Amino acid sequence: MRDLIQAAESPQQIGEAAKQLREIVSSDEFSLKTALEIFEQWAAALQGKVFDEIPGVPFLRLWLRRGTLDPILKRELGDGSLDGAWNDDGRARLKFFPIGVVGHWPAGNIEIQPLLSMSCALLGGNGSLVRVPSGLVEVTEKLFERLRAVDSGGVLARRIKLFSFDHSREDMQEAMARNIDGAMIWGGLESVSHVRSLPFPHWARIAVFGPRLSVAAMDAAVWNCEVERASWCQRIARDVWQFEQQACSSPQVLFLERDSDADAGPFVDELKQAFQAENRAHPRRELSPAMTSAICLARASWLLEEAGRSASFPASPDWTILVGSGADIPKPTQGRTLSVLLVDDLLKVIEKFDGTVQTLGLAVADAKKEDLLADAAGRRGVDRIVKLGRMHVFGSPWDGVDLIRPMVRLVRHVPSQN
Amino acid sequence: MNSTPELDERISALLAGSAPFNLAPAERHERLLALFKDEITYACQRSPQYRNYVEQWPVDYRSAARLADLPYLPVGVFKMNPPLKLIEQNEVTHTLVSSATTGQVPSRVVLDSATAKRMSRGVTTIVRDFIGPTRRPYLVIDVSANLAGGGELGARGAAIQGLRSFATETVCCLENDSSAEPNLNLNVVREFAAKWKDAEVLVYGFTYVIWNHFVKPLQSQGVKLEMPNVRVLHSGGWKRLERQAVSKDVFNRGVASAFGTSPERVTDFYGMIENVGVIYPDCEFGNKHVPAFAEVLVRDPLTLEPVSTGGQGLVQVCSILPTSFPGFLALTEDIAEVIHADECPCGRRGTSFRFVRRAPKAETRGCGNVETVRERLLEEAVIHA
Repeated sequence: MRDLIQAAESPQQIGEAAKQLREIVSSDEFSLKTALEIFEQWAAALQGKVFDEIPGVPFLRLWLRRGTLDPILKRELGDGSLDGAWNDDGRARLKFFPIGVVGHWPAGNIEIQPLLSMSCALLGGNGSLVRVPSGLVEVTEKLFERLRAVDSGGVLARRIKLFSFDHSREDMQEAMARNIDGAMIWGGLESVSHVRSLPFPHWARIAVFGPRLSVAAMDAAVWNCEVERASWCQRIARDVWQFEQQACSSPQVLFLERDSDADAGPFVDELKQAFQAENRAHPRRELSPAMTSAICLARASWLLEEAGRSASFPASPDWTILVGSGADIPKPTQGRTLSVLLVDDLLKVIEKFDGTVQTLGLAVADAKKEDLLADAAGRRGVDRIVKLGRMHVFGSPWDGVDLIRPMVRLVRHVPSQN
Repeated sequence: MNSTPELDERISALLAGSAPFNLAPAERHERLLALFKDEITYACQRSPQYRNYVEQWPVDYRSAARLADLPYLPVGVFKMNPPLKLIEQNEVTHTLVSSATTGQVPSRVVLDSATAKRMSRGVTTIVRDFIGPTRRPYLVIDVSANLAGGGELGARGAAIQGLRSFATETVCCLENDSSAEPNLNLNVVREFAAKWKDAEVLVYGFTYVIWNHFVKPLQSQGVKLEMPNVRVLHSGGWKRLERQAVSKDVFNRGVASAFGTSPERVTDFYGMIENVGVIYPDCEFGNKHVPAFAEVLVRDPLTLEPVSTGGQGLVQVCSILPTSFPGFLALTEDIAEVIHADECPCGRRGTSFRFVRRAPKAETRGCGNVETVRERLLEEAVIHA
């Protein structure tokens, strides 16, 4: 299985791979229907304990299903796209074609991201050159091996080259950038800024996803509802647990709209129980000393800065709930550390957003109020407004950008006989 | 208000024990547990913020049966401004400031006269066990500015000061000229070496300072001193020397060669300003030991439970000495390995450990790695436009 991801040793190796991919893309007929069938089989092949233990695999499985992808492709590429047909557009017609070779720079901590990113470019018929972060080599191989197994003819697999090399290898990074027609870049501030500064050709399309952070919010009618409280807390715990809270869609803070008649104590107790239950279901297997230190520091700083604040956490670093008030987003800690802040008006929170917030997870009883919040959030830079518990459900658009269309060319044909 | 006389007396009693490394672990645990509980109670009375932290701690410290269950603070909280303290501002006699690298916020801990005295006594007690009680000439491989014991004292200054009780006379051999880096004054070194050629001499410097500003200049000039009875103590960590690929072995041999002594007379000690009055020199078996008035726990990063012998994890330092700030139980960002639970071959009782490395800086990671920075970046863009 080790040969699935090549340890790149020279820039020439990357250049050669890109050349091969470009030849395949320009010479091979691409059938979206076939790709979708293979994806469907791939999703089915990602079953079993070994895959269930990989964070994000349920989302990857869901993403690869036709039920998810068909509507996205129709919306992004047009109704006829699934059949490879031209779509009428007034007196003209449109059809998508690949841009060529797409380079992928996934974040180093999201297990499914190398292949998720790759899948978007493949659906556009592109070749994919993927830099697999060193920490994700093993898991990516496991997932990719299943694709190779279901794609015995290599219809998709031959359009994919997976490489690993140390992120400090500037010559490799540059070789990747120089040899591609489009880039999908995911990650934190430092890595995204670095990749964006690489010497891409002038024609290269660049799609950037991250860095962003996400926020959850509930109105009093929901968090104070005894009947529904437990299930909402369960949803919040699920959103916090996924990806160790390091994804751009991970909630870092939960704002609770204040109710003068209600005490948030019972809600926080319920949330604590939900965190304990989630921890039992999905215990950590490892944690870096740096993250442990960060969690301990977040707990102590929170309580030492203001004597009126409270917190709930076990002796282990498993999870942390920091309770206080205020409309500002606290500095994210990650590592299952959720700030719960009481606020008089959720709109006041949203008014402080500056474009950094990607996803707003909501639980709001009043639909009209939710409309108001959604509008305000859209104006203040939020790109996804979803129900709590579904903050990580991967879909298009993501970060306010289509996932497939940026990496295709929409060719316009005005028939000469019209 | 200083610590209560009763608390002060109990701390002093434990500190005054004649053999700091002879206490059996069970007895040490029993004594420390009771004392730490009282120190926590005292700190809760003095600081509402600290009390808030203790009240939210998952284990009630009053009923804790293990040191490991008591509420500890991560050392990062000592970077808070203003510094955490348990005394009134007018009682502060010194502020110790850690050596932070450029761009980093240093730790600050405040001392009153009682804590400062205990700090000095703690260091003396430990060092005496390693080098003996006699006073001797003291060569400081640093600039004389770091000798001054002003109101604010850096980590280098605190370490230099801490060893002065062993000095009959103190000589600094580095000097500042117009360059950013200090220079070795070779005349001072030669004069000192000639004067104390065969005497027992104490030398101290920060690890990288000794290497970069003493050993390397002597090597480049082909100078070898003849001071076979020197005892070289150094501290401050290995990070800068690791970048130069200087291992502990290379360092010890280099220093020994410069002084004309054996590498066994070069001793590294681990310490930090947050753990006032406690330092951890290497014994002849290369292990670090904990005196009777302190403890070291090594916690598994996954569970925060103490690891057993052979295990590695985050170091928690525990010291009964400070009452001016809540630094009695502090979780560091250093990784260590527990070598013995008791009975190191050197004869010292209790936990022995070895420093492994500094844990990398905790940073938010992934595509969720962002603070709310856009507004700030846009403001900067306007300023630069």
